Order: sequence, then structure tokens, then C-alpha cells
Amino acid sequence: MLTDFLQLTVAGLSQGSVYALLAVGLIAVYTVRHVINIAQGEFAMLAGLGSIWLVSAGMPLIVAILVAILSVTLVAIAMERLVISRVKNLTPLLSIILTLGISTLLQAIMLLAWGPEARGVPLFPGTNLLIGGVSIRSQEFWMMGALIVVGGGIVLFYEKSRWGKALRACAEQPVAARIVGISPVAASVLAFAIAGFVGGVAGVVASPIYLSLWSGGVLLGLKGFVAAVLGGFVSFRAAIIGALLLGVIEAYVAGYVGSGLRDGAAFLILILVLVVRPQGLVLKPTAVRV
Amino acid sequence: MTDSTKPTFVGKLAPRASFWTNNKGTLIGGGILVALMLVIPFTASSSMMNIVVFAMIFALPAIGLNLLMGLAGQVSLGQAAFFAIGAYTHAIMLTKLDLPGPVAAAIGVAAAMLVALLVGLPLMRLRGHYLALATLGLGFIVMIAVREWDVTGRTTGIYGIPRPTVFGIPIDNSGFFLWFITPFVVIGLVLALNLTRSRAGRALSAVNDSELAAESLGVNTYALRLKVFVLSAGFAALGGVFYAYQVAIVSPTTAEFHLSVSILLMVVIGGLGSVWGAVAGAFLVQFLGEGMREVIPAIFPGATGEVQLLGYGIVLILVILLLPGGLYQATITLWRKLPFARNRRAADAHATAAEDDTTIPQLPAVSTPVAAGEPILVISGLTKRYGGVVAVNDVSLTVPAGTILGLIGPNGAGKTTCFNMISGALTPTAGTVTFLGQVISGKKPHVAASHGLTRTFQNLQVFTSTDVVGNVYMGRYRKGRAGVLRGMLGLQAHEQGAHRAASYEILKSMRLTDAADDSASALPFGKQRMMEVCRALAAEPALLLLDEPMAGLSGHERDVMAELLRRLRTAGLTIVLVEHDVAQVMSLADHVAVLDDGVLIAHGDPETVRNDPAVVVAYLGTDLDEAEAELNELEEHA
Repeated sequence: MLTDFLQLTVAGLSQGSVYALLAVGLIAVYTVRHVINIAQGEFAMLAGLGSIWLVSAGMPLIVAILVAILSVTLVAIAMERLVISRVKNLTPLLSIILTLGISTLLQAIMLLAWGPEARGVPLFPGTNLLIGGVSIRSQEFWMMGALIVVGGGIVLFYEKSRWGKALRACAEQPVAARIVGISPVAASVLAFAIAGFVGGVAGVVASPIYLSLWSGGVLLGLKGFVAAVLGGFVSFRAAIIGALLLGVIEAYVAGYVGSGLRDGAAFLILILVLVVRPQGLVLKPTAVRV
Repeated sequence: MTDSTKPTFVGKLAPRASFWTNNKGTLIGGGILVALMLVIPFTASSSMMNIVVFAMIFALPAIGLNLLMGLAGQVSLGQAAFFAIGAYTHAIMLTKLDLPGPVAAAIGVAAAMLVALLVGLPLMRLRGHYLALATLGLGFIVMIAVREWDVTGRTTGIYGIPRPTVFGIPIDNSGFFLWFITPFVVIGLVLALNLTRSRAGRALSAVNDSELAAESLGVNTYALRLKVFVLSAGFAALGGVFYAYQVAIVSPTTAEFHLSVSILLMVVIGGLGSVWGAVAGAFLVQFLGEGMREVIPAIFPGATGEVQLLGYGIVLILVILLLPGGLYQATITLWRKLPFARNRRAADAHATAAEDDTTIPQLPAVSTPVAAGEPILVISGLTKRYGGVVAVNDVSLTVPAGTILGLIGPNGAGKTTCFNMISGALTPTAGTVTFLGQVISGKKPHVAASHGLTRTFQNLQVFTSTDVVGNVYMGRYRKGRAGVLRGMLGLQAHEQGAHRAASYEILKSMRLTDAADDSASALPFGKQRMMEVCRALAAEPALLLLDEPMAGLSGHERDVMAELLRRLRTAGLTIVLVEHDVAQVMSLADHVAVLDDGVLIAHGDPETVRNDPAVVVAYLGTDLDEAEAELNELEEHA
């Protein structure tokens, strides 16, 4: 009984790590451009399917993954340069339509390039562990590790580095940021690069277990959005905690209620949070309006 | 064939303008659509018939989504969810309960509207992206629910839906079906067109220009948006009802996200806010999808599945980047270039019509609910804190009816903050505002407006998407009553005509008649300010709050404004004005209140306030002793 519970918790935390990475990408873009990037989940699928293709072409796994993540980062930058930056007055309505268009386009490209089947990247190297009856797959360590290293790295980057502070300045005081010499163009490109990078990482670490599918990005991105809402769309830390919570709740629903209902849980949580506490899990009010 | 053909000077028509003039575009367009649908079954190939039938089915959810996006300024990514709820409910009522077709269809539409109401009640309060993502989530929930529930037939769905019969004729081929659905699409179209031109529709488009100004004129944004959202779900469900009839199978794919995307694409291609555009978009997207499904496998051998998404994605991006107004915008631009299109008068025609006369031809009506001298507005202990900063500190004031109160003070003294708390744009940290015996502080601006309090803005809040008379017309919102339903049925022409005529009268009193049909955004700054005052007066307020009404006006315009305010006071209107022009305030106001650093430092008749040492300090910036010394010195010299 307890073993089952712990088993589900581990699965939930590893899945939640993936949501957390996507939420980090969503918040990075939102704080700088006030754009909800509906294509965030597609970054993950693109990296997963790209890695599978590169591996099947004979590339070593580690190289294939790095190339895929890098390529997705470039796709995100291209998206910013070619599409997002071209619209002068980007209202929430337009930004949704535009990123939805990009999301649809990326899905169609993946469908045409790699077909309609769900596929997985080969498992990453490592050994599975059995602790007190709870088995933890090595891939789940990779997923949680990716969150700790990449997600933690991004949080540190934002809070400690000069560039990270500049990005936050752009979000909170865009005019002042421009006056002190922070280029809004560079900040926007950097934000999208971060979104592409974390999306790519999330996609490759999750693919061996949860598979990559051309149309799977919307659902995954929306889970990231639920986590970002829990973080009030401004706080990385609250969003990461929210994402882990979401992953665990989903695992319990799948384990104790029914696996078909697992995805429904996320959206019930979303609607509940929006109704009860739209500012998310953030405790103190912040300067950034959502 | 759109609103662009509307007469440019409706106000000159009698309130009961002829039905034909008011509805020319709708009648011609509707006639063409009906004629096409009558002929198509005799001429089109079966694959063409298929496209046309599905275009007509999806035109309904597209019209609904277009209303939501164009009027409420919100986007739903879950239109397919409501489509599916309509289709499933209809199918269940027909196959499991054997209900008659019309009843089953009505229950299907009602079910979707109920779900929209439940989702919209909390969500329409939130701005920006939340509705879009919540409806996207709703789409997934609906899909999961129908897949997991026995009643909805799980993954196989519901099949064996009986064909409808009309007057004993079974609708069993595409031609009959097209004739079956066309009346419903046309009725839906007319209802939607009526709504966009109704009191509610105009209010919502004003909200999209300036939510603050619209609410200050009495528009309850939240309630109107919620109604439009519920309505848009109803349109989607009606499409689902017809889908269930035509396909005879309802499966979880009806709730698919990609269907929501294609409905969104129809609206975007057609042009946001253009009902006809949504119908045209439905046809274009059906043709585009069919074309892509034929072309793509030829280019990429082995491509299967939803390949049309490639075209959808590209078109979505390109339309937003290159033609954000969609087909509607393209049509309007082309129409204006045609030689026989009526050109609008030169925009600067009114600029030369300067007159030296400052008399006011006619005085707009004002409402005087309390006798002159009775307190109309009571402010007590009004305080606003931002973190540690106190913007307004414990201000108490009583404004007697039929007087002008001038509120002055140096920059940053908290005058506009005070105004915003009185009108409801800001919630006070402490204290209350009582207007006509009702506490209005902490409530939305439309509450104060509905009691008869109207305001203008320091930073102009012009409804840019309409003309000058359209702006003033919005001021009449409070005086109108027609709701969403009456608007859709088009039963408010009389009311609208009367309000339009009243708007022209008010423009006349401010000598703006020449500019009445010009785009409001093209007006010079000073005239925009006058127009805002006209708009506020159109509401026939009992209390008028003017935030710097003289700023940006020419000397002559200031004189007209001052004369108007004096005469309005004589007529019984109570006015509170914030103004930088101290000389004007002193000559106009019966009472003057001075704010400095958020504190009310003086209040009384202009003469007393002028000689108050604390006021002198506030304006000269020296401390009290120094000021007194200086004053004494001045007096000694005198």
C-alpha cells in the first residue's frame, strides 16, 4: 500500500519535473514579452522526435540529444525574429493566435517529417534502483536531474547573473531598462532561447518513458501552463513547486482513480486555481501585473 | 455587402428610418447567400457539395467565436468543446431518449450554454490569456469525459442518429441537408449582425477601445462579456447539432483541439469582428483543408492524417502578420479604391469653422434628483495607500447639489487619485464615498454611472473605433434599456434613433456638429476633449466629474467650456472639476478644495482659499513661517 503510494509519488515527481521545465520556459517568455507561448510544448516534441531521427541516422545518443536541443533553441530564436518581433502591437489576443499558428505549423512539419506514430528516444545510460520496494528507473533520475541542473541553473541565472537581472528589469520596468542600456531585442531573443532550450531538454529526457508524438505538445505545454499559473506567471520557484505538485496529483489520479482521467485532473486544477486564486501560489504581491 | 454601406448621416433620418435603409447590407448579403445555397445542389459535384455542407455547419461556431473575439475581445480555444457538447447531447437525446428533433436540438444548445455559463462566471472576470487557456483545457476535459463515459459511447461514440424529417420529407441527401441548414445559418447571421450594431454590441466595442471610459458610462463589462461568451457557445452547439444530423456519428474527435484551431482560423481569415467574414472564412478554410489533403500527399509521398494543419498554421501566421483585419479589411480597402465608392468628406473641413460666438445654442438636459444645496456627494475619510506611500490621506468633503467644486493642488497632490476613487476606477484603502445616499466607493465604475455620476479623463479616453457622434452616442448608454436579446432581434431601432438624435443635439451645443461624422481619433486634441465632455453630458448626469477639462483647449474653446459649465450649474447640475488653470477655477467655482501631498489643506469659497497661508505655501513651496513673513512683507509694502 505504502509502496504503491511512494511508487506513484516518484513517477509523479519525475513527470512533474518535465512540467516544471516547460513552465520555466513559459514564464521566461511571458515576463519579457507578455506572450503566452502556445508552442512551448512543441519545442519538447520537436527535440524528442529530432533526437530519435538523429540516433536512427547513426549519431551517438549524447551527440544527437545535444544537437536536437541546440536546434530547437535556434527554432525558438527564429520564431522570435521571424514572427513575434514583426508584430508591433502584440495584444494578448494576437499573441495567442500567432503562437497557436506556430504551434500548428510545427505540428504539421513533425507529422510530415516523422509520421503519426508516437516514438521514444533510447533510454539514457544508468541503472534502475530498488529502495524499500520502490523501484526508481534511471530515466526518472535523468528527468529530475534535468530539472535540478537546468531549471536550477536558470533560476540562478535570473537571480545572480548580470544578464538575468537585465531580463528581470525588462519585465518589471521596460522603459527604465531601455534607458540604462538593456536592449529589448536582445532580451526578447534571450528569453525565447531559454524557452527553446528548456523545452528541448524537457522533451529529450521525457521521451524514453513518455514518448514523443507530433500532436503531443499542446497537452504537454498546457500542463506547463497550469504550473506557470500556480506560480502566478512571475515566480519560477512557485511554478516549479506547482509543477511537481501537479505531476504527483496526476500520478495519484492515474493510480487510484483511472488512468484515462489523468489529464482531466490538470485542467480541473487549472480552472479551480483560476477561480479561487488567480494570483497563484505566490504569497506576496509583486510589481509585475499579470 | 457589410456595414460599410451604412448611410453616413443616420441622425438626420427620422427615428423610424425605413427598414430597407437600415438593413440594406444584411438583406443583399443574405439574399445572395440563400440564392447560392438554392442553386448549388443542382450544379455542384459531390465533393464540392461536401465542402459546402461542412462550411455551412462550421459557419455557426465561427459566427459565435467571431462575436466572442470581436465583441468581448476574448479568444476561446475550446470552441470545439461546445460543438461537441451540442453534438453529443443532441445525439443522446435522439438515440437514447427518442425525443423529437427540435427538442433534442434545443437541449443540446442549452447544455453547451449552461457549461459556458458555469465556466464563464469565474473566468470572464480575468483578463488576457486566461479564458483562452482555460477553454483549451475545457476541450481536453470534454474529450476525456466522452471517451471515459458509457453514456457517450466511449471511443466509438454514438451512431445510428436518425435523419431529420421536415414536413414529412426525410433529409437524406446533401442537397436537402443544405436547404435544411441554410435558414438556420441565415437566421444566426442576422441575429449576430443585429447584435454587433445593437446597444450591447456598441458598448462592447467601446470597451475594447477603453474599458475605463465605457465602464464610467455605465457599461457592465463583465455581465456583457459573459452573455456574449454563453451566446458563442450556443452558436457552436447549434453547429454540433447539425453535424450530428449530417454525419450520423458523434465521436470524441468532435472535441479535438485541431477542430478548435480550424474554427479560430475561419474567424481570423474572415476578419475579427466581421460576422460576414466568419461565414466567408468557414468556406475558405473548408476549401483550404480539402486542397491541402489532396496536394500534400502528392508532394510528400506517404503523408497521412491531419496534413491540412500545415496550411492552417502558415495561413494563421501570415494573416496576422500581413492582413490583421482579414478578408473584411481587404474588402473594405478594395471597395474604397473603386471609382464609384462614396468618398468621405475631407477630415479637416471642420477646422476652419471657427466662430467667435461663445453663446451656447442649446443646453443638454441634466437630471436634478436633489434640491440645490442638499448634499449630493459625501466623501468621508477617503484614503489611498500604495505600499508605504500615502497618495490620498483622510480626505472628507461634502458637495452640495447645484454647485461647482474646484479641486486644485500642485502636481502629485492626489487629485486624480481622489477622482478615481470617487468614480470607482480605484478602490480606496479606507473611507467611503456616498452619492445620492448610496455608498459607491469600492464598486465598479458602472455602478456609480448607473446612479448618475459621469466623468471625463485627464488622459483622454476616446473610443477610437467609431466616429465623434458614436462616442457621444455611447454616453447615452445609461439612458437605454435594450439588452442582448432585444439587440439580436433588432427590436431597438426606435430607441437607437432617438439616442442618436439626442447625440447630435449635444454636439450642436458644443459646436461640434461639423465634426460629427469624423473618426474620433482624427480629431484635434482640443476637440477630443470637448467631445469627451459631450459624451459625459449625453448621459444626463446628476454629478459631472471633470478631470482637467481646460487642458489643451484654445482660449476661445476655454471660454465656451466655462460658459457651458456656468449654464449647466444654473440648470441644476453639480460639477466637480480638477484643473491646473487656477484663475479659471477661482472664477468658475462656488467652492474650492486644495489638496497637497494627499492632504486636504483648505476648503471654502474661492476668496478664502486664495488668501489661505497654507495654500500659498503649497503653491510657492516655502514653509509656513517664511510664507507668513513674505505675506506680511507684501502687505506692509502695500
